[in-house]
Amino acid sequence: MPERIAAELSSRFGDITFEPQVTRDGTPTFWTPQEHIVAVLQFLKSEIQMPYRMLYDLTAIDERAYKRQQNGHKPYDFTVVYTLFSFDRNEFLRIKAGLHGEYPTLESITPIWTAANWYEREVYDMFGIRFNGHPLLKRILMPSTWEGHPLRKEHPARATEMGPFKLYDEKQDREQEALRFKPEEWGLKSHSEDADFMFLNIGPQHPGTHGVLRIILQLNGEDIVDAVPDIGFHHRGAEKMGERQSWHTYIPYTDRIDYLGGVNNNLAYLLSVEQLGGIDVPLRAQVIRIMLCELFRIASHLVWYGTFAQDLGQLSPVFYMFTDRERVFEIIEAICGGRMHPNWFRIGGVAQDLPNGWEPLVKNFISYFPKQLKEYDSMVMKNYLFKARTKGIGIYTLEEAIEWGVTGPGLRACGLEWDMRKKRPYSGYENFAFEIPVAHNGDCYDRAVVRVEEMRQSLRIIEQCVAYMPSGDYKSHHPLATPPVKARTMQDIETLIHHFLNVSWGPVIPAGEAAVCTEATKGWNSYYLISDGNTASYRTRVRTPSFPHMQMIPLISRGYTVADLLSILGGMDYVLADIDR
Amino acid sequence: MKWWLTNANDVTGKISGNTSMEEVIQQSVMLTSVESLLAWGRKNSLWPFHFGLSCCFVEMATAMTPKYDMARFGAEVIRGTPREADVMIIAGTVFIKMAPVIQRLYEQMMEPRWVISMGSCANSGGMYDIYSVVQGVDKFLPVDVYVPGCPPRPDAFMSGLVMLRDSVGKEKRPLSWVIGEQGVIRPEKISMKDTLREKRQQMTKFKTPDEI
Repeated sequence: MPERIAAELSSRFGDITFEPQVTRDGTPTFWTPQEHIVAVLQFLKSEIQMPYRMLYDLTAIDERAYKRQQNGHKPYDFTVVYTLFSFDRNEFLRIKAGLHGEYPTLESITPIWTAANWYEREVYDMFGIRFNGHPLLKRILMPSTWEGHPLRKEHPARATEMGPFKLYDEKQDREQEALRFKPEEWGLKSHSEDADFMFLNIGPQHPGTHGVLRIILQLNGEDIVDAVPDIGFHHRGAEKMGERQSWHTYIPYTDRIDYLGGVNNNLAYLLSVEQLGGIDVPLRAQVIRIMLCELFRIASHLVWYGTFAQDLGQLSPVFYMFTDRERVFEIIEAICGGRMHPNWFRIGGVAQDLPNGWEPLVKNFISYFPKQLKEYDSMVMKNYLFKARTKGIGIYTLEEAIEWGVTGPGLRACGLEWDMRKKRPYSGYENFAFEIPVAHNGDCYDRAVVRVEEMRQSLRIIEQCVAYMPSGDYKSHHPLATPPVKARTMQDIETLIHHFLNVSWGPVIPAGEAAVCTEATKGWNSYYLISDGNTASYRTRVRTPSFPHMQMIPLISRGYTVADLLSILGGMDYVLADIDR
Repeated sequence: MKWWLTNANDVTGKISGNTSMEEVIQQSVMLTSVESLLAWGRKNSLWPFHFGLSCCFVEMATAMTPKYDMARFGAEVIRGTPREADVMIIAGTVFIKMAPVIQRLYEQMMEPRWVISMGSCANSGGMYDIYSVVQGVDKFLPVDVYVPGCPPRPDAFMSGLVMLRDSVGKEKRPLSWVIGEQGVIRPEKISMKDTLREKRQQMTKFKTPDEI
């Protein structure tokens, strides 16, 4: 309710003018003078009734090229956007601060939310906006030797604009030197009163990190004193890419964000686009979407399951689970033609109707998979060693989880029954019967329990999709649906023009902004899209779940041993592209 | 060398040949040069480096699992350190931040060593013509085989691996730094596009999108 929160804000801060902004997604959005940001956020987090306890996202927008007057906001140079979430209200809230100047500064909110640390570093890295009072404001995604701030409009987008890449010896040495870990730079001590610490560098190339992730451990013997995750080795510039790809041609890039989640990424992106365009998706398309999303959830969880068991020393489960994942991919291939990156959803629906003979494929899988899950329970979950290495390891409480922005199975393992598919249903999830699995100890084992049970629930949803697959269109008839349904093109001059424009320039999505939060395989995922009424987005912000999860590593690994760190990493289920984008 | 196989279903157990002394010798004695024997050994025991960058790595790992089973080509022993490996598969996007690390890992591998570039990103930057991505790993590493795809299917990766095997088997390397000519003679790289062109042009019937 925008009115309610507006009233609460103005009754507390009578002298400040909060300029409300109308957004397409209906999220209450307020422009707040930058000097009051800290006080307002402090109030929203801890003083207000039914507080906004989670910092869901923090990002910025380079407004200097925005041509259109947006709900009467003054032409700022940059905007910093804070997105908060309240579990009590089940509501998001956006607070915006407009900034002037080439390289503006703003007060840091790290004293309020520790989780703001990485987000502010990212904004600094990408936009050059500085935060006063930030404990360690340095680059996070780009190499420390980088010049410029990539998401500023004047920074080149293409690698081919920046001259050929050469890695001569001198540069190689310089870059390697820049990667050298110096404890004092990170505020770490080399020794305590009675012991010298050892610094162990893990990654960016290490079999246990599941990708190009670097973690530096400060060790006292075998015990972890502190950990420093160093990310950005997998930064693919997905957000900048959104500013040059048309609304339609950006879809394949979303596949590659959480590359195990496949169409789940398509869905998060398209829900926002469809909200901007006011496009309703036909029922059949919705059910097809849900069925594929849940199949991908199972595929993603199977990869996690197998690799997690492998990290803990069990070599065989991963072979069984990848074989089952292939069975999921048999269905995916039959329907989409692709495997990991199906690029299957379209603005207003899906690419094509389900092929003949899809039903027996899915039904076979539904009858085959439960007994496999049962076998895996006895193979992995009931295994004595597996339990010994995961129970009581990497614990965080529910309060900590909310404070640090943990979502998805990691949050549900702390006892909070919160699944966006249930609590804020999207794309027709409200029509399906399924449970939200929860566990209560918040350790690695419980995170595993939640994911395993989630696969059973996903199977239940798929079963309902097969049983009640509605007939009808697989794509909307809305003029912005891209590409238009073939039967409705080439009829007269009007349909001819629509078809031609949508497939050549791409659709023109009306100006405005929207974000729809989805329950992706690893947690909450959303695309915060800002359109200036053009064929490409003005700013694409990808909020991924793995980014805040990774930030939590130091907190949940302190006091454990190096071997436990692998349980913690494996139990977290992150994907590097989901962290660095 | 002449030899034969008996068909398991053939109840008569008939064998072609006459089991004469001459034939038995032909079956059990093999004449070759040390050079070719080593090449044959190298070809059949490639040890890949456990190295992955992004999405492609998942498909590469899938190639080792039962459905695809890379062990059939003697390349399933994944090594965690570059010093024990002899083929590096650049599976994924080559990030500018990662390039110096890749270069260093490559340098740590001992000769003979080979590089497979797996996927569009590693081949040419692919769909990521963006500020943080190197436009192809061959900008700083010598590549032996390019595997196209985004990501390539495990089958495609395996076909790349088989191509590398064939090429490794034909490579001529000096046996020692004192014997014979020095320097490596590698077979010419083949273009699959040209090799398969005719076969592909023969293909005229395709499944329609509503078929499985």
